Amino acid sequence: MNLQWWCSAQAVPWDWNWRPYPGVWLFVLCAAGLYFWLTRGVDSGNSGSDPDAAGGSRRPRRGWAIVGLAVLWLALDWPIGALGGGYLSSVHMLQFLLIALLVPALLLLGVPDESWKRLESAGTTAVFRLLTHPLVALALFQVVLVWTHLPAVVDGLMATQRGSFTIDVLWLLGGLLFWWPVISPVPERTWFGEPLKMGYLFLATVLNTMPYAFLTFGETPYYGIYELAPPVGRITAGEDQQIAGLLMKVGGGVILWTAITTLWFRWFNREEAACPTA
Amino acid sequence: MTRIALAAAAIAAVACSVDPAERHEADRREKETGWRGIVLENPPPKPSFTLLDADGSPYDFRAETDGFVTFLFFGYTSCPDVCPVHMASLAAVRRDLPAELQRSMKVVFVTTDPGRDSPERIRAWLANFDPDFVGLTGDKATVDSIQLAMGLPPSIYEPPDEDGFYVVGHASQVLAFSPDGSIRVVYPFGTRQADWKHDIPLLAAAGSHS
Repeated sequence: MNLQWWCSAQAVPWDWNWRPYPGVWLFVLCAAGLYFWLTRGVDSGNSGSDPDAAGGSRRPRRGWAIVGLAVLWLALDWPIGALGGGYLSSVHMLQFLLIALLVPALLLLGVPDESWKRLESAGTTAVFRLLTHPLVALALFQVVLVWTHLPAVVDGLMATQRGSFTIDVLWLLGGLLFWWPVISPVPERTWFGEPLKMGYLFLATVLNTMPYAFLTFGETPYYGIYELAPPVGRITAGEDQQIAGLLMKVGGGVILWTAITTLWFRWFNREEAACPTA
Repeated sequence: MTRIALAAAAIAAVACSVDPAERHEADRREKETGWRGIVLENPPPKPSFTLLDADGSPYDFRAETDGFVTFLFFGYTSCPDVCPVHMASLAAVRRDLPAELQRSMKVVFVTTDPGRDSPERIRAWLANFDPDFVGLTGDKATVDSIQLAMGLPPSIYEPPDEDGFYVVGHASQVLAFSPDGSIRVVYPFGTRQADWKHDIPLLAAAGSHS
């Protein structure tokens, strides 16, 4: 068996025989190790800090992170990683949604407040503050989103394990930056409350319309690596690309609108609690 | 922060190593010749042969395809990669062409694996892509001689695996002919749908009698 450490295009016919990707296991183990190192000495279900600063509730922190790590593993390993690596652009898009939008949110939700304070006090340099500024974070995330979906970049990078790894890491880092201003409970930016967070997420839903339209309404397939891949089932390259575009719009929308709705209810409840009726 | 900066720099270095020059040979050809396929300067004449179609009836290639933009491909229905990709690409492009161009285009598939590819099997397989595609079969010696006459290597059967499945090595390019047969363009594996879409009107216009 030709052992690969990371999923990438192989130009061999697809089959459903399991294949090991040890690089993925190592990566997820490192991510888990980093999480447990950051949260060492902190109770998993109790932030121990001001509940208001944490969003008004004590969240089951470690559970979020464990789910996030499990989804990360699912997205990177066989079969999703392998199919997205070189066979179906729709599965590649599913990977994007999981790795760049869902996993970072789950991982950040899983960080207890004590660890947040530790993280942010360790990163109080100007660069860190700049990167996690909402406008900068949103702009950087959009750059990652657009750049990693350019046909030349996808065709160039997905052909190698190193390139495929680069895309996955960029998605994860871009997603962490994107969610940081929304999820970080440390009240460093008091001006960035729920209404602005909702606006921030709404803007993200608008911005992902561009790649959605690009993929869904393309006259011919954009990605040579998927167009010329050995077929999987009866799906054509054109249909595959349209599904990818729809996934970006619908799947991304579900994740972002879930967050917007959650923020709205949190904001509404707080406002109501602050202004009791006579 | 230094470590983070170094890691970011390493990622950026890898990310910037995409080489667009290797990305699409067809771009270069289009700039040089106006075609995205490979135009043969002194091709052998359009071949004349008669094989059996999916109904078991004789199919005279020249008589049936003269006057049409014709794509000729030698492959086999058990092919796991090249053949279904070529057929799917041509079918997708044909679907998007104006009706007039659709009618002026024929795709002829000749099996290189007559042992497994019965006429019924070829018809069923081609129907997955486009029921108008023509499937032909003949004995291996005849098909090999047609390929040789067109400058293509004859097909080779790889040894079967434990389940009896064998792979057939065959030429991976599609040959295209203008309606009057005067222009021959070769499309290697790796040809994109956008490439076919670009060249088909050129083929139709270049060789039309009108």
